[in-house]
Amino acid sequence: MTGTAAVLTGADAGSGMPVLELREVDVLYGRVQALRGVSLTVGAGEIVALIGSNGAGKTTTLRTISGLVRPSKGSILLRGQPIHTLGAEKIARLGVGHAPEGRRLFGRMTVRENLDMGAYSRKDRAGVRSDFERVYELFPRVKERSGQLAGSLSGGEQQMVAIGRAMMARPTVLLLDEPSLGLAPIVVENLFAVIREINQGGTTVLLIEQNALLALNTARRGYVLEVGEVATSGPSQELLRSPEVQRAYLGM
Amino acid sequence: MPRLGLLQRPQPVTPQAGPRGSGTSTFWIFSLGSAMLLLMSWLLPWFVRPTSSGVGYSPMDVVTSSPTGIGTILVYILAVTMLIMVLSPVLEIAYRLRKEATPRRFDTLRGIAAVIGLVSTVAVFVLARIMREEPLFGQIDSHSITDSAVWLTMAGYIIAAVTYGARQRVTHRPSLAFGAVALPFGLLLPLMFHQAPDFILWAAESLAVYMLLALGLNVVVGFAGLLDLGYAAFFAIGAYTCASLASPKHSIHLPLWVLIFLGAAVASMFGAVLGAPTLRLRGDYLAIVTLGFGEIIPDLATNNVGKLTGGPDGISSIDQPALGPIHFGTNKEWYYWSLLVVVIVVIILLRNLERSRMGRAWVALREDEVAAAATGINTTSTKLLAFAIGASISGIAGAFYGSIVTVVTPQDFNFSVSVSILSMIVLGGIGNITGVIVGSFALTFVIFWVLQNLNEWSGTLGQTINVPTLGNLNFSQYTYIVYGVTLILMMLLRPGGLIPSRARQIELKSGGEEESLAAVQGRA
Repeated sequence: MTGTAAVLTGADAGSGMPVLELREVDVLYGRVQALRGVSLTVGAGEIVALIGSNGAGKTTTLRTISGLVRPSKGSILLRGQPIHTLGAEKIARLGVGHAPEGRRLFGRMTVRENLDMGAYSRKDRAGVRSDFERVYELFPRVKERSGQLAGSLSGGEQQMVAIGRAMMARPTVLLLDEPSLGLAPIVVENLFAVIREINQGGTTVLLIEQNALLALNTARRGYVLEVGEVATSGPSQELLRSPEVQRAYLGM
Repeated sequence: MPRLGLLQRPQPVTPQAGPRGSGTSTFWIFSLGSAMLLLMSWLLPWFVRPTSSGVGYSPMDVVTSSPTGIGTILVYILAVTMLIMVLSPVLEIAYRLRKEATPRRFDTLRGIAAVIGLVSTVAVFVLARIMREEPLFGQIDSHSITDSAVWLTMAGYIIAAVTYGARQRVTHRPSLAFGAVALPFGLLLPLMFHQAPDFILWAAESLAVYMLLALGLNVVVGFAGLLDLGYAAFFAIGAYTCASLASPKHSIHLPLWVLIFLGAAVASMFGAVLGAPTLRLRGDYLAIVTLGFGEIIPDLATNNVGKLTGGPDGISSIDQPALGPIHFGTNKEWYYWSLLVVVIVVIILLRNLERSRMGRAWVALREDEVAAAATGINTTSTKLLAFAIGASISGIAGAFYGSIVTVVTPQDFNFSVSVSILSMIVLGGIGNITGVIVGSFALTFVIFWVLQNLNEWSGTLGQTINVPTLGNLNFSQYTYIVYGVTLILMMLLRPGGLIPSRARQIELKSGGEEESLAAVQGRA
């Protein structure tokens, strides 16, 4: 993931332009308003956490970014370019990798085929091959399981494949939807170490977590979503000290 | 604990021990197929009323009336080898029930027996020709049952020889083995059933047309996972395209070779037109919409929309093409040969398509639309392309059909046609090209040959056992019972089909429905 991505993110950081920006985004599911004027920015090379309770609109936010859901109002910019009118496949090609909620692997394909699907829109064979190596390096377990059917893996392994699949597109921004869901604490710890490693390789990460403590400890900044709106935001350390966040999400 | 292995008897590694792969399926189909062909060839002469030409209604007749020594030997050889081949599947089943591998020496034995049987059959064929004072090569006596029996026997022995003689190869490279058996079979097909040449040729051509249709529907249903119940509509569009542009109806006379491509193009266009509004639908809903489309197209043709289709009477006197000096109208078998070429080309193209990027995208789409979209697959164009490709193959089949029958009417494309095509791919194995070929062959064979002959067979049986009502049964009207029973039995016994595709095998074990893309997008 070094190469072009690192150069790009470096340049972005220099100019101060955020890699990803949501401006006043509204999302409607029929008559139900899922997001209400959500604005957030993700700077180059950052890890940003999105926390909130069930139904707060976290998953919707990620789906809106990756084009699975259309915003009814507002705009989404990727490196300054509006992407909210594009189809999901175009957004994926522009460099948004999405490891969706519940992993959503292709259960009847092998692990290798799943990773290969991640590189679906890429033409550079050599690059894809080196990214395979990179993913196998990050997740040695995935390499061991490469010939197995994705559906037969454990939850943790599946999550690794899901992240690996998203990485195979060589994204500039990686959207992770609850990677820790249903996993044992030790597995979660390993997973987050790898997420940090991916980030250090130059990939910007936008992360959803129920586990607010873990999320804020991993991320540099955080946004708190409540009923479809950004309730509060700021650097992680500040959020961790905020009494409301402590009461609502950290159980203190 | 590797040491323990020394004390244990090594487990034989056999196809039976492993998971049911398409290799074992192919083996079983070959094994049963050869047994059935031999059984039929044996029974055939007994069940057909003698006609006028005298000598030589069965291989037995020919052989017993030939010089004593050779005749008797051949009879015994044929009887013994046929019995071995017919009992072979029983032996396989016995070993399977005991969960043991069939000893290899049996395979070798059966392989040798099949080759001996094949040689004896060729000897019978030659003897029959000599007895009837016919030339060894050239025009075959068209009323002779012997020839049918001989061809069936030969086909049975050849398949048996391949199945048992090269069992390892059959189970390890199933599609290659299948191709090696199916191709000569396809080439010999019009010669094989020589009892009524025109009818058999028509059956062989129908088989090729249905095979094309099944291959095309398999792209939509098998590869992309979109259930299409109105597939006959595209068949109709291809046929009407051919009929309109190669008949006196509009005074346009284009050659069939142009119409194949035109039919494919027009049908694929309609495929995309149907696909576009149904993109967000899945499963049952999609099936219902396609069902409607399949009803609308023949209805439009019946109502003679735009005075284009000729109403209920359809379009008649469609041109018959020529290839250089050969006129297809007078040399009907050339339809079969050209269809065979088209089928082979389509099979090769589809195999490549299945393994291509598009093929993988279809698998991904079938598995999980949301994840597919998130990995950069354009779900819209991928689905539309499946509809368009499936429809275009149907369009080719339609153009050929129109040209062969020379009259197309709306009734030729009603719902039952869609059902029969669907039954074929369900029987063979949805998503598996080899399976689809087997399925379309098996059903066409039952409809065009077994049901047709059952009338005569039951009549003969009725005379023999003195139950004349048996002669009044008309089995050929039971076509749809065959389709119905096929669908029910397959769903109950082997839902993946005779030769299931890998994906289906896994799917049936794990099951489960995924949330649709439309649901995620809040549209459904």
